Amino acid sequence: MIGFIVLAAVLGLGLVGWFSARTRARLLYTGRGSLHSTPGYHGWHMALWIVIPALLAFATWSSIEPGLIETSVMSDPAAAALPAGDMERESILAEAHVIAANPGTAAFNPLSAQLAEPMRAAQSRFDLIGAALVVLFAFAGGGYGFTRIRAGFPARTRVERGVMLLLLAASLMAILTTFGIIASLVFEAGMFFRDVSPLDFLTGLHWAPANAVGDDLSSNFGAVPLFWGTIYIGAIIAMLVAIPLGLMSAIYLTQYASPRLRRWLKPALEILAGVPTVVYGYFAALTVAPLIRDFAAAMGAENPSTESALAAGLVMGVMIIPFVSSMADDSIAAVPQAMRDGSLAMGATKSETIKRVLLPAALPGIVAGVMLAISRAIGETMIVVMAAGAAARLSLNPFESMTTVTYQIVQLLTGDQEFNSPKTLSAFALGLVLFIVTLILNIIALRVVKRFREAYD
Amino acid sequence: MTRGSNPGPWQSPEMTRRLARRHAAEKRFRLFGMGAIGLSLAFLALLLVIMLKNGLGGLDWSFLSGSDSTDPSLAGVWGATKGSFLTMVVTLALSFPMGVLAAIYLEEFAPRNRWVDWIEVSINNLAAVPSIIFGLLGLAVFINTFHLPRSSPVVGGLTLALMTMPVIVISGRNAIKAVPPSIRDAALAIGASRVQTVFHHVLPLALPGILTGTIIGMARALGETAPLLMIGMRAFVASPPQGFTDPSSVLPMQIFLWSDEIDRAFVVNTSAAIIVLLVFLLAMNGLAIYLRNKFEVRW
Repeated sequence: MIGFIVLAAVLGLGLVGWFSARTRARLLYTGRGSLHSTPGYHGWHMALWIVIPALLAFATWSSIEPGLIETSVMSDPAAAALPAGDMERESILAEAHVIAANPGTAAFNPLSAQLAEPMRAAQSRFDLIGAALVVLFAFAGGGYGFTRIRAGFPARTRVERGVMLLLLAASLMAILTTFGIIASLVFEAGMFFRDVSPLDFLTGLHWAPANAVGDDLSSNFGAVPLFWGTIYIGAIIAMLVAIPLGLMSAIYLTQYASPRLRRWLKPALEILAGVPTVVYGYFAALTVAPLIRDFAAAMGAENPSTESALAAGLVMGVMIIPFVSSMADDSIAAVPQAMRDGSLAMGATKSETIKRVLLPAALPGIVAGVMLAISRAIGETMIVVMAAGAAARLSLNPFESMTTVTYQIVQLLTGDQEFNSPKTLSAFALGLVLFIVTLILNIIALRVVKRFREAYD
Repeated sequence: MTRGSNPGPWQSPEMTRRLARRHAAEKRFRLFGMGAIGLSLAFLALLLVIMLKNGLGGLDWSFLSGSDSTDPSLAGVWGATKGSFLTMVVTLALSFPMGVLAAIYLEEFAPRNRWVDWIEVSINNLAAVPSIIFGLLGLAVFINTFHLPRSSPVVGGLTLALMTMPVIVISGRNAIKAVPPSIRDAALAIGASRVQTVFHHVLPLALPGILTGTIIGMARALGETAPLLMIGMRAFVASPPQGFTDPSSVLPMQIFLWSDEIDRAFVVNTSAAIIVLLVFLLAMNGLAIYLRNKFEVRW
C-alpha cells in the first residue's frame, strides 16, 4: 500500500518540478534566441531528474527490502523456535507475512502468529525508511535539475538523449524476453537431464511420470508417445482439415468472389481465428467428441473413448483454417499478374490457370504458411487439454485418446508438486523441445517467405 | 501431344466434348472453393448456435453479478470478469508503451547492425512462440525467482504483456511505415529535431493503426488460457479480487474450470460464460474495425 503512495508522491513531485522549471525558464526568456531550448524542455529535463533517480531507488529498495525484513525477524526471540527445514520455515514465514498484512486472520501455525507482530513492525519500519530514501532521491535529482536551468543550457538535447535511451531499452525488452525463455527452459531442463539421460528422454517409448520414483527414473520418462501424439494430432489430422479447406477458401476469395462478397466473407472467416481456444476446446469436448464416439461405435469399435485424437485434431484444423487461408492469400497475391494473364491468354480456363500456374508459383509461400500453421498447431494447448486425453500411446487409430506435449506440460505443472521433483522439471524439458521445434519451423518459414517475396519483387 | 498436333475444327464432336469437360471441371473447382468456405463458416455458425442454445437460459443478473461457487445455480462470472479486467490493465499498461517505443526505435532510429537484427529476429519469433511457453517463463521467472503472488492479476498481466508486446511492435511498425516520408521531410525542413519529428508528427498519424493492432493484441490476450494455467490462475476464487495481488480467476479460466465439472448444470454456466467472453471479444474487434475505418488515412 505504501508503495502506491510513494509512487504517487514521486509522480506528483515530478509534475511540480515540471511546472516550476518551466516557469523559471520562461522568466529567462528575453527575446528571440535568448534560450537554447523552449521552457517546456526545461520542464521535462527537471521532471526526468526527479522521477528517474527516485524510481531507480524505489526498484532497488523493493528488491532488497524482503531480505532486510527477514533478517530483522530472525533476530526476534520467537524466531529461535523456527524449524531448520527450508520448506516448513518458508511456509511459516509466508503465513506470518499474510497475517501481518491482514490482521485478524486465523493462524494455522501458532508460531506464525507469534512472528506476525515483529514482522509487521519490521515491515512498517523498512517501508518508512524506503519511502524516505525514495523522496530523498527525488529531491536530490530535482535539486540538480533545478540548478541546470540557464538560458544556454541545452535541455532539449539532454531530454532527447534520455528519450533515445528509453526507446533502446524498450526494444531490448524483446531480446530480454527471448533470453529469459531460453535461460529458464535450459536451466530447469538441465536439472531434469541430470537425473534422466536426454537420450532416454528423446527415444524412450514409455511415458509414466506418475510411477517415476526412486532410482529407475529414465525408463518412465520416454517422450516418444507424446511426440507422436503431438505430430499425429497437430501436424497430420489438423493439417488434413486445414490445408484443403484453407487453400480452397483462399483461392475462392482471391480468384472467384466478387469484391463485395469478399468484403463480407474474409472478416467472417477471420472470426474463426479470433475465437479463444478454450471455447474451441469446450466445443470439441461437448459436441464433436460425442459425435465421433458415436460414429466409432457405429463403425463397430468396442468401447470407443469420449476423448479422441480425431476430435481434437478436427477442431484444431478448423481453428487453423483462417491462418492457412490468409498465408495462401498473400502468396497467391504475390504472383505477378503477367503470369496469370499469360496463361489465360493461351486459352486456359480459370481453374487450369490456378492449378497449373498460380499454385506452383505460389508454392514456396504456401509451404511456409503451412509450416507456420503446424508450429501453431503443435503449440496449441487448450483444445488438446479438453479433448485429446491423457493416455500416452503410440497408435494410428484416430478414435483412441492420445496425449500431446502441451497436455503433459499442463498436467505436470498444475498438480500440487514440490517444485524441484523430476516430474515438474520434465515439463520444462518438454517445453524446451517444443520451443526448439517451433523456433526451427518459424525461422525456416520466415526465411522462405522473405526469399519468395524478393523473387517476385 | 494429341492436343497440339491435330486440333481439328472447333465444332467437331470431340472438341465440344473436351470443352464441356473443361468447363465442368471449372465449375467443379469453383464449387469446391465455395464448399470450403461454406464448411468453415458453417462450423463457426454451429459453434455459436450451440453455445447460444445452451447458454442463453443461464444469462441473468445473478449470473453476471455473482462469483464462482460450487452450486451451479449460484455461480456467476463477475469475479472472473473483474480478474480479467485487472489482468488486462496490467497487460495494457506494460505492453502498450513498451511496444510503441520499441516500434518507434526499430522503424525510425535503429542503425543497421547485428544487434538490431537480433532484436528483429527475436520479436518476429516471439510473436510465433506457443503461448504455453510464455506460461513456463512466467512460472520460472515471476513466481519461482521473484516470488510474486501466485494466481494474481499482476503475474498474469506481466506474462500476457510479454506475449502481447511483439504483436503491438509488429503492427506499430507497419503503421509507422505507412506514414509517408514527405511528412518527416517537411518537419525536418522547418527545423524540428528527429525526436520532435517522430513524436509531434509521425506518431499522431500512426496512432490509429497502432491502436487497432493493440486492441487486436489485447483481444487475443483476453482469450488466452494456457499461460495463465501455468502460473496457477486456476484456483477456486469465491469472491471478486480486490486488488492486483489478490488471487483471482479470469474469464477463459472460469470457462475451463466449469467445463471440468461433472454436474450437468455447469454446461449452462460454461456456455453462458462463453457468450460473455465472445461478446467482449466481438466488442473489442468491432472497436478496432471502427477505429481503422474512421481514422485510417490512405496516402
